Amino acid sequence: MASNFRQDMPPPGGYSGIEWARRAPRRGFGGYATFGIYAGISVVGLTLHYFSLQNRKKDELEMREGRIAIHPLILAERQRMFLKQLRKNRDEENELMKSVPGWETGTLWGEPVYHNLVDRFPWVNPEEYFAHASPKDMYDRIYEKRHH
Amino acid sequence: MPFKNSDWLPSYEELEVQEIEMSTPVLRAGAHHFGKYCDNQSKEFMLCYQETKDPRKCLQEGKQVTKCGLDFFRKVKQHCAAEFTEYWQCLDHSSFDMAYKNCRKPQAKFDECIKTNLGQERPEAGYFAKVRVHKTNRPKPERIVPLPERVPGPEDIDRTKPAPESVKTGSRLFWF
Repeated sequence: MASNFRQDMPPPGGYSGIEWARRAPRRGFGGYATFGIYAGISVVGLTLHYFSLQNRKKDELEMREGRIAIHPLILAERQRMFLKQLRKNRDEENELMKSVPGWETGTLWGEPVYHNLVDRFPWVNPEEYFAHASPKDMYDRIYEKRHH
Repeated sequence: MPFKNSDWLPSYEELEVQEIEMSTPVLRAGAHHFGKYCDNQSKEFMLCYQETKDPRKCLQEGKQVTKCGLDFFRKVKQHCAAEFTEYWQCLDHSSFDMAYKNCRKPQAKFDECIKTNLGQERPEAGYFAKVRVHKTNRPKPERIVPLPERVPGPEDIDRTKPAPESVKTGSRLFWF
């Protein structure tokens, strides 16, 4: 039995090395190429963005100019409506308080709302402006609840 | 109500003029040409309101603006009704904010019509947005505030004079 013993040995030339490293193919671009592509896309995108921004600014300017051009017309009409309503309010107060002795319109028992020596146009409180409207209407107008 | 019976408020008759009863798309469609057609009146009115900050004192100027606007839109109706209608309907129906950028073709037709009939070009971009100087004959409003007489202040004291004898601590002339 001993004569038949034979030591198991590596093949001649030895075993080949163990492949421990991951051998994936190199995919994608290298560092310089990556940065180059990034820079290229950025330049193209920013250029397009610049021109689209110019266009948008032009359009917005046109919209704004339309509003500026029409503003005097709207303002004139609005001021006339405002003054008409003030007149109405004063007439209403005169009518409402005529039976109260000592009441003077525009004042609280003789004391005016503003100390107004040079006849400036005073600030009219919205609560006073809408005093003769219903509370719901006043609320809607003051807090801009209505589409206009 | 901050207005007493003695305060001046214009009467209803003064405030009654024919208004322009048109809605947003129409006004927006005509805005640029209106602005150029009524340039002088608009500037006069805005200057008046800017100076006085008083709607009562700018009623006449405001009426002029409305009158000029009526005049302009009447002329548009007379000469360019079809083009103008196409333009404002395009504005009204093309986008939620009635943007001008969606209606270049009707705009070009409307501009052409205005140019042939009213002899007026569309103002260049930036015309209304820049500062427009206005010359007027209206006198500058004065605001005379009744103030009390001026009392003598520290600047009225002559500090270069030498101190009187009664001052023990010497001169208080500030020299440095």
